[in-house]
Formats: sequence, structure tokens, C-alpha cells
Amino acid sequence: MNWIQVLLIASVLVLLVYLLRSRGSARSKAWVKVGYVLFVIAGIYAILRPDDTTVVANWLGVDRGTDLLEYVLIIAFAFTTLSTYMRFKDIELKYTRLARAVALQNAQTPEQT
Amino acid sequence: MLRINTSDTHYRDVWVVIPAYREATVIGDVITDVRAVFPHVVCVDDGSDDGTGEAALRAGAHVVTHPVNLGQGAAIQTGVEYARRRPGAAVFATFDADGQHRVADLVTMIARLRTGDADLVVGSRFAGGVATTTPPLKRFVLKTAARLSSRNRSLGLTDAHNGLRVFDRRVADELDITISGMGHASEFIALAHEKHWRTVEVAVDIRYTDYSKAKGQPLLNGVNIVFDTLLRRRTTR
Repeated sequence: MNWIQVLLIASVLVLLVYLLRSRGSARSKAWVKVGYVLFVIAGIYAILRPDDTTVVANWLGVDRGTDLLEYVLIIAFAFTTLSTYMRFKDIELKYTRLARAVALQNAQTPEQT
Repeated sequence: MLRINTSDTHYRDVWVVIPAYREATVIGDVITDVRAVFPHVVCVDDGSDDGTGEAALRAGAHVVTHPVNLGQGAAIQTGVEYARRRPGAAVFATFDADGQHRVADLVTMIARLRTGDADLVVGSRFAGGVATTTPPLKRFVLKTAARLSSRNRSLGLTDAHNGLRVFDRRVADELDITISGMGHASEFIALAHEKHWRTVEVAVDIRYTDYSKAKGQPLLNGVNIVFDTLLRRRTTR
């Protein structure tokens, strides 16, 4: 086994522990965890047998496994960026409503009518 | 100038919403002008740090202060929510704080609303008839934006972004602006379309003073507005 393989597997496992320790609230969180466990299994497999990704890549009409992983990474990154953006917008709206509620409670009226 | 008595009960059901951000130097005069005709003014101080709120209060406006700067759309929504809780409020107006709108136009628009066949009256620089003082490039962009929007077309509107609006109780109750920034003008029109508010346009003029030009939004901001509008549906509710 290469040193790089040891390092990669170790870091993936650390991430897994972090994720599983975080207490999610809803069922959607549970699915994220299941998905992540599957990802870790696939990840460790790919680290141990890097040539197998090339086989999968060839099935899909891509020359090298590295290229396939890069494409997947780009798509995943785009999805993450978008969902983060949506989430920010959502939080911004809640924050606006909170600030508005505070503002309305502290409204000042002029002296005379 | 206008000679209408403040004690005239004719306008006691009108609430004028003025969103303001860092307008301390002009807000007092603007509010005094408006209050010469309309007794009820609510100024939403959008987290200014220059004493805009105090100046507005001294001029006799109700003042609602955002604890942080949220944007003009958010300020309008706050002002309308404040005004619609006031007893007897029946007619609502939005008016810019930088002094570019004319009170006389507001009077015309309210008269138009009171004819009863419209829920929302929007001011337009391009509604025809009025000798407009809009700079040529700005006029071209605004008119094109108005034409490109299918909602604007179906409502027969010619001005994409005009801060002068007059509306009735129904619109005030149903109003829910979620775009905090400058895209709210398009959102206003989108809401009018979705909620089937009867919308008409009245010709108004804009006074492009050096002050209002400096405060106004650069045309490039139009790009932001287009993006905000496209994303609105996906991010709300």
C-alpha cells in the first residue's frame, strides 16, 4: 500500500466520523448520512484499486478514471455551490423578517398627531 | 405650488411610505413637502448611520428603524406593514427619499386610485404626454427593460423601475416583497400579475437633481436586478 493511499483513507474516515457524530434533526439528514457512508465505501475502494475507476470510465466512454472523477467532482461542486446559494437566500429572508419584526416593535411616533 | 390644507380630512386615510438610507441632508425637506398635503408619513430608516431617522422624526414622520441595512425592497415592505396596522389606513403610497418625486404627482395618482377601477397605480416617466427629463441612455434602458418583461407588457406598463406607487388596502394586505435589494420594483409588478391586482399607469415626472443622480442606482445594477428576479421563484417559500 502507498503512503498516499493511507493518508487518503485516513482523511475520509475522519470526515465520516465527524459527519456521523453531528446530530441531524430531520429524516433528510439520515439520507445524507447513508449517502455519505456509500460514498466512503466507494472512495476507499477507488483508493485501493485506482485502475478500476478507469474500467468504469471506459464503460461511459471516458479514457481515464482520473478524468471521470474530475467530471464528477465538477458536477458535485456546482450542485454544492447552488444549494449553498439557495440556503443563503433562505436565511437572508428569515433574517430580514426578524429585523423587520424588531423594527416594527420599536417604531417611533412623532409628538403631535 | 399646491395649496391643500393639512387638516383636510380628504387625505387622512393616506399613508405615505418613504424608505430612506443615508438621506439625512434631504429627508427633512422631503417629508415636510409631503406632509404639507398628506399628514401620515412613515419613514423607514434602513439602518442609516447619519441621523436620517432623527431628521425624519423631527419633520413629523413616524419612523421605523431597521437595526441593520436590509435594502430598499425590505424597507418598503416594512413601511407598508407598519402603515397597514394604523387605524383608518386605506390608501398607501411609496415615495423616494431623495426628493426626485413630486407631491403633485402623488395627488394625481391618488385621485386616479379613488376612481375605484384600480388597485395599484404606478408612476411612469414614459406614459406619454409629459415632457420627460430622463437622460437618454437611462430612458432607453428603462424602456427596453419594461418592454422585455412579459408581465410589464401584459399589464401595459412602460416604466420598469419607478419608486412612485399608490395602492389600496387589498394590495397592502397581500404585499409580500422578498427581494430586499433593488429588484423589488420588478417583484412588485410580478406580484401585481400573480395576484391579479388591477394596475394602471399615470404619467409622472422625475426631478433629476445632482443629488438624486448621485444617489440613484447605476445602470449596471440592472444585471443584478435581472438575476434577482430570475431566482426569486426558486428561493422563496
